[in-house]
Amino acid sequence: MLPIQIIFISFFLAALWFTWRRKAYAWSILWILASIIILLPQSTTVIAHAVGVGRGVDVVVYASIAILFVLIFRLYIAVERLERQLTEMVKRDALKQLP
Amino acid sequence: MKVVAVIPAYKESERITNTIHGVSSFVDTIIVVDDGSCDGTKEKVISLGPHIIFLEHALNRGQGAALRTGNEGALKIGAEIIVHIDADGQHDPACIPALIQPLIQGTHDIVFGSRFLGSVPIGIPKTRLLLLQCAKSFNAFFMGIPKTVTDPQSGIRAMTRFASMHIPFRQDRMAHCSEILQLVTCGSLRWKEVPVDVRYTEASVRKGQRSTDALKIVWHLLIGIFA
Repeated sequence: MLPIQIIFISFFLAALWFTWRRKAYAWSILWILASIIILLPQSTTVIAHAVGVGRGVDVVVYASIAILFVLIFRLYIAVERLERQLTEMVKRDALKQLP
Repeated sequence: MKVVAVIPAYKESERITNTIHGVSSFVDTIIVVDDGSCDGTKEKVISLGPHIIFLEHALNRGQGAALRTGNEGALKIGAEIIVHIDADGQHDPACIPALIQPLIQGTHDIVFGSRFLGSVPIGIPKTRLLLLQCAKSFNAFFMGIPKTVTDPQSGIRAMTRFASMHIPFRQDRMAHCSEILQLVTCGSLRWKEVPVDVRYTEASVRKGQRSTDALKIVWHLLIGIFA
């Protein structure tokens, strides 16, 4: 086993333990899938070839960046909506001071 | 016609008194919206007397938000014409009659003050001029605002009651200028620009927008489409 695999696997084991302690078993799917990719990097080659990417690792990196981009974008929009709601509250509060 | 001036103020304790004195002779009522200042702006305004309507934002929400609060307040007290003017005194209040005249005559619904029609702005920094040119191009290409609009970021405008109810701008911060221009020029309201005099004093440049704020405006406009 490569050192990087040991680091990742111990992280996922810790993650499993933390999520199980909170009875959030659904998270296990994510950690187990990630562990499979770390332990058997070749397994992603099948997907990579299917979509026309040379190496399996590359497809994982591309997919991660795309997913992160979408998540951050959604986060920004959620914050913007929250800010608008906050502004609405501040406005209502201010208008109570009208004579 | 009842003319109400809405003055959004954030940390303007040094200049707000002069601005109010300047504006008061041209309008019937003044609403100052204090956007969460902590520098004594509130005390300065209240000391001028109860005829100045003072609305306070509990938190700083930006100039666009303050103008929305001011607009709603003005509508509630029966304003027929609403004038937006900056608190820092960079706009000459003597421009107000020229702004509201087309509204009183009924030929237009909203009038924007432009720094670039006729008289050259006093003391405007060169970098600001360049930035405003870029803003104009951005407005034209990304927002669909006609290039005939000479001032892309004007803080002084007057509108009828009807117009203020039909410009549903949502941007809280500085992006509201472009948003209002877009809603108006791409809608059915009758608009025009009139020249206004602007004084760029050292203080107003220092406290005013930094050049990097332009990027923030672009960002808020882009995110605002989706939110």
